[in-house]
Amino acid sequence: MNRKGPLMSPGIARLLVIIALLALWEVGARLYADPLFLCPPSQAVRALPHILTDPKILNAIRITVYEVLTAFVMAVICGMAIGLAVGLNGFTKQSILPVILLLYATPQATILPLFILSFGIGPAAKIAFGFSHGIFPVIVTVVAGVQNLKPSLLTAAKSMGASRWQIFTTIIFPHMIPSFFTGMRLGMTAVLLGVLLAELYVSTAGIGFFTRLFAESFSPPDLFALISVLATIAVVLNEGCRTAERRFSRWHTA
Amino acid sequence: MNRTSTVIKVEGVSQAFGAEGDPRRVVALESATLDIPRGELLSLIGPSGCGKSTLLNIIGGLATPTTGRVTIDGVEVKGPSPQKVAYVFQENTLFPWRTVIDNVKLGMAFQGVSKSEREGRARESLEAVGMQDFANHFPGQLSGGMKQRVQLARALGLQTEIVLMDEPFAALDEQTRMVLGEDLSVLLARTGKTIIFVTHSLVEAVFLADRVAVLTARPGKIKKIINVEEPHPRKSNFMTSAKLGAMRNELYELLHDEIRKTMTLRAEVGGDK
Repeated sequence: MNRKGPLMSPGIARLLVIIALLALWEVGARLYADPLFLCPPSQAVRALPHILTDPKILNAIRITVYEVLTAFVMAVICGMAIGLAVGLNGFTKQSILPVILLLYATPQATILPLFILSFGIGPAAKIAFGFSHGIFPVIVTVVAGVQNLKPSLLTAAKSMGASRWQIFTTIIFPHMIPSFFTGMRLGMTAVLLGVLLAELYVSTAGIGFFTRLFAESFSPPDLFALISVLATIAVVLNEGCRTAERRFSRWHTA
Repeated sequence: MNRTSTVIKVEGVSQAFGAEGDPRRVVALESATLDIPRGELLSLIGPSGCGKSTLLNIIGGLATPTTGRVTIDGVEVKGPSPQKVAYVFQENTLFPWRTVIDNVKLGMAFQGVSKSEREGRARESLEAVGMQDFANHFPGQLSGGMKQRVQLARALGLQTEIVLMDEPFAALDEQTRMVLGEDLSVLLARTGKTIIFVTHSLVEAVFLADRVAVLTARPGKIKKIINVEEPHPRKSNFMTSAKLGAMRNELYELLHDEIRKTMTLRAEVGGDK
């Protein structure tokens, strides 16, 4: 498109696409869908106030957010530590990293029952499962961030008398930051997925529990309203990561 | 300036890569011997792969010679000596996540300069290279020539007696390097530092140096040392003088055969660097 006046900015075009999709859904749902399975978006919007005032559902949202944040913080801390330990050393990188990649590639949903067996049906299992999803992207991006450092920067630092600790804190660490933030964003998405999967599978609380409940009790307006709340949470978490990323890697985009 | 005392002594330094008897063994440098007096600017010039940079790295303690030794002020070099030697690299080695002034200060932090002193020294050295207005820029926002000026400022900020420069202007266009060369000559005349300057450019070698050491094709040996005998700082009229032209021609004669030799060598090993 070469006509990029004030009337046609990417933001407006994006908005139009979203509106078009919603309209399509609205019309399609009204004309063709079984109201037991699918509702038009207008009904989901109408269900929102009820969803957002129900104390049981609010509590579920709180639980899920708590589980996600706990799993996320643990995944970031452990992922960073493991990523550094593996990435900073050529030997461990060659010996350990393939094992990590193998675990990462394994669909973890298959071992979800084991998590439930080990951690019970409470939040612990959700946190553990979210953690196991989130840690891998963090490890992999930290390893990558540590790896592609220009050797000449290290030579320069050594020529000026930098100690190993100084090299780590002033060169390796800041160099890794942009890639680490990418890992955090991927990790956040993965944690959310892990926690919700675990909640859907077996639970008595949390957003996942209610989405399953609404789906099984044929109330799509409630289901989609809750999903939109969930999507909002995901966007907020993601934007939080991105803001932090921009702040810490100002030089990268400069 | 006391030119009589020797600061850097290079004694029979050789550098070989690969084990003895290995057919792939490469002798980069063969028994180089040099005495560099205090305050001298020495250019090293020679064909690619003749061991110029290797010699520089050995003097700076970034590489260990296979045989021979280097002493600075009578002390044998066994590793980097940040208190005595500063480097300016060909490649941009500024830390991209730090502003210009923070880059200069970081060098001092590595070297062990107290925190209170860094700011003032960093400002001074940025001013010396004409980069004071860019103190808060990130390296990514600077041109290649400006980055090299900052690298120079970082080296100057270390206030070492010796500065080693490994083709610092090689990646720049001719006009930029001309201006930087002139500025460098003025700057160095003021500081009285001992400098070794590796270059590929014949004109640059003569324009900047008190002496030019010509190295042979691999294995690199010092073929001849030419005295330039022209007072510093050198101005642009020296650049166009007959004296510089004559010396450039002399260097060309000395180097021509050596460069041919490396080209043949390269052809034999399949165009490999």
